[in-house]
This record gives sequence, structure tokens and C-alpha cells, in this order.
Amino acid sequence: MSADDFDPGALFQIEEPDAPASRKRAPGRGIGIDLGTTHSLVAIAPNGAQPQPVRDASGADILASVVSYVDPSVVVGADARAQQVEHPSRVISSVKRFMGRGRADIGEHPYPIAAPKHDEDQVVRFDMGGGRDVTPMEVSAEILRVLAARAEAELGAPIDGAVITVPAYFDDAQRQATKDAGRIAGLKVYRLLAEPTAAALAYGLDQTKGGKQGLFAIYDLGGGTFDISILRLREGVFQVLATGGDSALGGDDFDRALAAHLLEAAGVCEPSDRQREGALAEARRVKEALSDEPQVVANVDSCGLTGFAVTRETFEGLIDGIVRRTVKACRQTLKDADVRPDDLDGVVLVGGSTRVPKVRAVVEKTFKQLPLCDLDPDRVVAYGAAIQADILSGSAREGVTLLDVVPLSLGLETMGGIVEQLIPRNATIPIGARQVFTNYSEQQTGMVFHVVQGERELASDCRSLAKFELRGIPQLPPSMARVEVSFQLDADALLTVTAKELMTGVKQTVEVKPTYGLDEAAVDALVMESLDNAEADFEARNMAEGRVELGRVALAVRTAVEEVGHIESLLPADERTAILAALQAADEAMADTAGTPQRLKQTREHLESVSEAFARRRMERALQAGMGGKSLGEIESSLAAEDALEERRGSHSPQQT
Amino acid sequence: MNAAPASPSGAAPEAAPVPNTVVVTARAAKVMRGQLEKRGTPTGAIRFGIRGGGCTGYSYMFQFEDGEPRPNDHVVDAYGVRVFVDPKSMVLVKGTRIDFETGIRGHGFKFENPNVGDSCGCGESVAF
Repeated sequence: MSADDFDPGALFQIEEPDAPASRKRAPGRGIGIDLGTTHSLVAIAPNGAQPQPVRDASGADILASVVSYVDPSVVVGADARAQQVEHPSRVISSVKRFMGRGRADIGEHPYPIAAPKHDEDQVVRFDMGGGRDVTPMEVSAEILRVLAARAEAELGAPIDGAVITVPAYFDDAQRQATKDAGRIAGLKVYRLLAEPTAAALAYGLDQTKGGKQGLFAIYDLGGGTFDISILRLREGVFQVLATGGDSALGGDDFDRALAAHLLEAAGVCEPSDRQREGALAEARRVKEALSDEPQVVANVDSCGLTGFAVTRETFEGLIDGIVRRTVKACRQTLKDADVRPDDLDGVVLVGGSTRVPKVRAVVEKTFKQLPLCDLDPDRVVAYGAAIQADILSGSAREGVTLLDVVPLSLGLETMGGIVEQLIPRNATIPIGARQVFTNYSEQQTGMVFHVVQGERELASDCRSLAKFELRGIPQLPPSMARVEVSFQLDADALLTVTAKELMTGVKQTVEVKPTYGLDEAAVDALVMESLDNAEADFEARNMAEGRVELGRVALAVRTAVEEVGHIESLLPADERTAILAALQAADEAMADTAGTPQRLKQTREHLESVSEAFARRRMERALQAGMGGKSLGEIESSLAAEDALEERRGSHSPQQT
Repeated sequence: MNAAPASPSGAAPEAAPVPNTVVVTARAAKVMRGQLEKRGTPTGAIRFGIRGGGCTGYSYMFQFEDGEPRPNDHVVDAYGVRVFVDPKSMVLVKGTRIDFETGIRGHGFKFENPNVGDSCGCGESVAF
């Protein structure tokens, strides 16, 4: 191709060099929020400090997740809870259960719901009277605002951003709702963090074996819920392997069991509300005291119970059935994750109810090791979030430093082993990119995605980061199935790759840390290598692309011959011979490792030219068949649809030669 | 369905190998020097190359360069103006003639790149 063949095109101006990314960071001004169903908490760990909870003026750090709309101004926390008995419909508690849920899938609750604004309106709005309709996101935002204000007062400076924890089983809608709540509260949400992952981070388990690998169980027994999660650590990234539990099982059940025991001892068969409350309060106190004492004396004035001794043994007998239910869930979850207790590198206790000695003993027995419990189980999730937030704010922590730019390009392997770059080297972090890929043949029902890193043209010369398969792709003609792949590189260089088939919506996600085990010297070496091999790489890429192109044409021709090649009027014998010979030549050219891109191209052009007449006849036949009994208008519109289709195919072809 | 396939870097088989350099016309060099002086960096250089992106895959990079050339860079002396090309880009731009054009389309630099196989409508993205 010579210079005369094309229009040189655009005129260019000299640009200013890309300014080296100097992003505004606010080290030490990230906060970690545990946004819980019953309680919430904010913690900070500024500039590498040990995490600590942030307290309000009265010294309390745990905030009841209750929001009251009784007064014109919103009240959050214990004061809101105090209004709940009197105004059950205007004081919202446990709003987390409504996050990301549509009108159709919320269960029983005492709140009036505002009418939908239009037919498809799925957003839940609580009618708080006086024209105040609030969404669950807005209610959560009120809690977040109180916590953020607390943290801001403690830091003495504006907050840069927050890490908010969510249950590992939260779906996309629930996660999005949580992010929206943060946004409504005026917070930059650095990231959502799974609660079990936060607990693991608080214990520094990400450093296990240098971060290379590990398996952990997180046993989280709160007041009203029980969650068990199995995490896998691989190259610096935690992955939730399995979750299980019981959304109606928790420490409150311990209190109820003990309260029933106290009432029975007092001889009260049908307790009044006041007696029940009194027994529950005393049960709570006794339960907590029994964690340290072998025996505690209980008194319930309202029931006339005085000096009643409760031994730890009695208490343990009372809660035995409840604790055993958690064990059952643990065994099932281990099985789901295909993990044996011996495989675990650590077990973490989360939630206040894990202070009960019996629970600890059962966990130890179930997982065959001493659980980690040095950190306050009510606060450990917030601590992990605080550490993560500190890292994301740009603090230097234990050698973790945030990068401003992508050190090596990130891409995907496409047909022929060629790398398609999605995020180029030196792009500013955080960054996202997406691209649509298409299928190669109609028989294809899955696509393998190989995520690679490096500057070389062939995937085999790059660092392999991850490989995953997307199954369930609809069987469509070549280039018609469309899979959108998105790369999202977070501030701390965590790469999330998602592949989604656009027709069915099936998707797969993988998280990797591209910088894991990569130092500056290694980056330099890889970049230099790509420069040294630039010419050979382009040759190799051209070869691979030539092979793919030839393969595509050969496949199409071969399929056509198999389908309609037996019809003499479509494919005369002499043409058939020529096509078969050209196909044979194509196979040989593709197999020839010493070939050249030119030869591949010539072979393809030859195959295209000998099969052209056959293709035209097929097209005419198809058109005639299609025209039978149709009006001109119908034909024109179907042709237009065909054209539009053709255009889409072209623009989404994965290789762009 | 697919656009014309990749022409291999280099040229048609029988053509002589293209040297690893780019050609800057006297007119283009004069404008470069003028712009460097106007910018207050008369001893600065120009970096020319290719980067990924754009609707057909690659686009030109053409910018001021305040630093010294990197170890593997090709340095082209264009009437006293230094033009740096990194070795990876050189594979794709070798033989390119950089000219300056004034006309109805406006003023600007024009790249005549013999390696280009296909360019998009706007001409800013190129394929090889």
C-alpha cells in the first residue's frame, strides 16, 4: 500500500503533554462505616493508626439504626427508639431490610407506604405524614449523616470519603441502594466492603502468607441475625466462596430463652408486658455477666424474683438448641464452599453474641481451631472498613501505597491469542473501560475471558491475571451474540472484570489485583521487553489476525458448502472443486508456522474470489424465497433491518484489524 | 462485513524496507520551532507516536516534550528541532512525512503515514 492510496486525513496540532496525574488526595480522612440492621458504627484509622471507634458527645459509639420522623426535624439513634412505642408508624427501624427492594418483595412491616408515583414505580416510599415521603435510601442516609458528622468532628477536617460495609449476600440492587444512601448523605463512597471481608481485614488476614493465599471462616452472630461466610484470599484479594446463616437467629434468642427460664422460676405463667420487659432486661444482664462469672444472681422485681442463682451450665443448657442451629449452618456452608475445617487458616468471631463462652467453644469444635477474638466483636467490621478507608484516602500503610497511574496495560486475549487492550498503561487511576465482543461461530455457547497485563501484542507474552468463562450465550450466527466486558480499576488498583451477555443478561465477575507481586523493576523490565520486541510483536500480531480472518472466512464457506453445496444449481461441480481446493489451501496456510501475513491474506482473497459466485447465488435464492407473497414495502423494511444488523456486526467485531 | 484486513507493517513485499525514521518538512519544522518559542521552551522537543484508543484502535500522539529522550527513543533532527519517537510507535510510523498545511480545512500538521491501512472518518484514528 503506498501513500497515494489514501487521504492523509485530519490536521493535527501539537498538544501539551499529558500532565502527570496529580490527584487530590486527603490522606487520613477516610472513614469506615458499619451500617447495621440494628446498630451502626463509624471508625477511623487515620494515617496508619490502629482503628478506633468514634464516639458522640456523651461517649457512646454504637448508634441504634432507628430514625424518627415524629418531629419536624429528624431524630436518629436511641432518642428515636424512645419514640417508637408511642409512634410505631413514624419511627423506622431495621431499614436495611428494605434497601434495594421493590414494593413487591418487602415483607410485613408497620409503616404506611406512599402510593406509587406511576405504574412502573417500584420504589418503596414510607409515608411519614405531613407530605414527607421517604425512601429507604433516604432513611439510611440520615444514619450515615449522623455518623459522618461525628467522624468529621473527631478528625477536625472535612471527610474525604467513606467505606461502607454490606452483607456478603447483598445483590446488585441492595449494593446500589447503599451507595445511593451514601451519596444522599453527601459522602463520597470509596467502596462497599463485604462485612466478613472487613472483619478479616481488621485482623490483618490479608497479610497471611504474604497475601498469597488463605482460607477463612467468619462467624457473625449478632442480636437478630446469624451469618457464616467462607473467604478465600488469593494474591491480595478476598473472595467470598460461600455464605450461609439464618436471618432470624441471634443473641436476642439467648435473652428470650433465659427470660423464659426466669419467669418460670418466678412462677409467672402469663407475664404482663412490664414483667416480660423486666425479665428480658435481667436476662441480658445475667447473660453478659455469665461470660466472666460461673454463676450470677438474678433479681426481677416485677415478678417478685429475688436471689435466684443462674449457673453458666444452666444458661448453656438453655441456649444449646440455638447454638446447634448455627453449627448446622456452618457445616452446610463449608460444604457449599467445598472446604474442610482443616483447610482453614483462621476463624474470626463477629457480633456481640460471640462473647458467650459456649459459642466460642462450639466454634472451636466445629472448625477445629481457636477462633480469633482479640478485637471487639461489635466493632471489628467497622475497624476493617476504617483501615480500608484509610488506604483509599491515600495514606501510606504497611507498605500499601496507592498508584496514580496504571503501571502496565490491562487487556483481554481475543481470537488468535491477540491482546485487546482495554486500559492503557499510564492511564489515571481510578478508571473504567468497556468493550463489546462477539461470538465466532454459531455453535459457541460460552466464551473464555483471559485477563492479561503487559505491553506485548500476544497474550502468551503477557502476565496472566485471571481466566473465567461465561456460559449460557445464546446460539446466534457469528458476530451476532454480544458480550459486554467492563474493566473497573479502583483507587487501590483492585480490578473488577465483568462479562455480560446483552441479550440474556447472564454475567460473570472476577476481581484481581494486577499490581500484586509487581515491583518497579519488574514493570520496567516488562516495558523494555515490549520495546525490544516491538517489530517482532507486530509481525506476530499480524500473523495471528490474518489467521483469524482466514479462519472466519473458511468457516463460513465450509458451513455454506455443507448446508446447500449439494444443490447443483447453486454450486456447479467445477466451482465446487475450486472451492474445496481453496479451503484445503486455507487449512494449510493456517497450519504453516513459518508463513507470512501476506500469504494468509492472499489465501483468504483467493478463497473469497472462488466462492463469490456461490455466495451470490445463495443470496439470490434466499431473497427469492423471502420475497414470495410479500409486498415491496415488507421487503424493503426487512432489508433495512438487515442493513442495520450488518452495521452493528461491523462495529462490534472483537478484532479491529 | 469486515473492513479491509491488516496490511502488514512495512509495505508490499517487493518494496524496499522503510528506514526507522520520520521525515519532517522544512515548513513543519519552522512551525514547530515557532510554537516551542511561543510556549517559552525554545530548547524543548516534540514527541510523535501512536497510542491505543480511538474508534479504529490507534490514534496519533503529537505533543510538546519537556524532558530528555528516553533510552530507546529515536531522535530525529528536523532543521534543529528534535522529534522523539518511541521504538514501539516507530514500527507504525516509520516513513511518515510530517508536513504543515494551511488551507480551507484550517492550519495544522499533516501526517503522511505509509503504514496506514485504514482510517476513520475524522482521520484521527488509524488502522494498520
